[in-house]
Amino acid sequence: MTDLDRTDRATPTTHEQVSIVDLLDRLLDTGVVITGDVTLSIADVDLVHVNLNAIIASVRAGAPSPDGPPVREAS
Amino acid sequence: MTAPHHHLDIDREGAERSLASLVLTVVELIRQLMERQAIRRIDQGDLTDERIETIGQTLMALDEQMARLREHFGLTQEDLNIDLGPLGTLLPRD
Amino acid sequence: MTEPAPGVWVYAICPAVDDRLLVEVRGVDDEILRHVRAGDLMAVVGSVDRERFGADGLRRSLNDLDKLAAIARAHHAVVEAAARVRPTAPARLATVYDDDDRVREMLAVHRDAFAAALDHVTGRQEWGVKAYGRARSDVASGSDERAPMTGTAYLRQRRAALSARDASRREVIAGAEAIHERLAALAVDAGRHRPQDPQLSGDPRPMVLNDAYLVANDDAEKFAQAVSVLAGAHPELSVELTGPWPPYSFAVIEVAP
Repeated sequence: MTDLDRTDRATPTTHEQVSIVDLLDRLLDTGVVITGDVTLSIADVDLVHVNLNAIIASVRAGAPSPDGPPVREAS
Repeated sequence: MTAPHHHLDIDREGAERSLASLVLTVVELIRQLMERQAIRRIDQGDLTDERIETIGQTLMALDEQMARLREHFGLTQEDLNIDLGPLGTLLPRD
Repeated sequence: MTEPAPGVWVYAICPAVDDRLLVEVRGVDDEILRHVRAGDLMAVVGSVDRERFGADGLRRSLNDLDKLAAIARAHHAVVEAAARVRPTAPARLATVYDDDDRVREMLAVHRDAFAAALDHVTGRQEWGVKAYGRARSDVASGSDERAPMTGTAYLRQRRAALSARDASRREVIAGAEAIHERLAALAVDAGRHRPQDPQLSGDPRPMVLNDAYLVANDDAEKFAQAVSVLAGAHPELSVELTGPWPPYSFAVIEVAP
């Protein structure tokens, strides 16, 4: 029987423990969107999604062995 | 714009492997399409037994050849894919 | 040449309360945080280096995964600290103003929208629910057996494999929808995120659910239990619960200047 992963549930995940992917889901697409004075417009931030693919691709190309994409775990 | 975290593998072996990966991905796409099409035709019931056998043998041979080629280049099934960005991947992930 | 004035990075908007400053947390530029008040609202902000956190600097940083991750975590740390003690509408990453007066102006001009957003999230938390189907290696692909067989037998085998995979896919998607419906009914609000990029997450399994739910603080335990029960009821899926999060997905305000 599939059991729910309890590691995330018992204690609130601190900012150090949250997965960067889960965080980016929330930080890049959502939240109060008020165009600041620094014109990093919505389009620019959305470009990060496309550019992340390019970064991943370049990281993969340099990886010594193809046993999975090297995941950047932020410390 | 930004330097990659790792150096791109630009030696000859790596370049060959990248090219092979690309070519094999396209061949794999064709294989999958042909396989689906063949199964559809068989289900429609408009193929003779001999024809079915021939198609099956051809696809089986292609499948085996693909496996040999992947092995030769050290590629897994999962390596054969092309990321089309917002369009997703060329081959289904699952 | 004098240094350019620092930019003002906005982390979150909250009701203006007589709060102590957030002394235990620093900002994205390791700066000390402060509040900027306007009427009954306040913004949690910090002064950041204009070169590294101005338009060009940000564009460079945000295209570097390591730097992006560091900035994201630092921003999140501030938002989280605020959300722990008061209703909080998180600002999107990289919202930078020229100075405090501009922030004050922004708060005043969009006061009603902010008030509505804060009202929506007060006393509530965000929970994330992700669900995955089976890994690719679990599903048959290509020729399963190397034993010699007829072409016809091969095709029969392939048809069975593809058919099983299609059925599995349908089942997984239906399961995800059922879970979403059930949880949305329990929550105050529900939002859907796009499936995560497997290359980014490092998880090869197909993601079929990546949702956010706004749940009253008192209902948190009940919600978590419901997720657990649903996970058990859907063995075709792997279900993960994350949270509580500050209400990133539910304090959405789109405001043009």
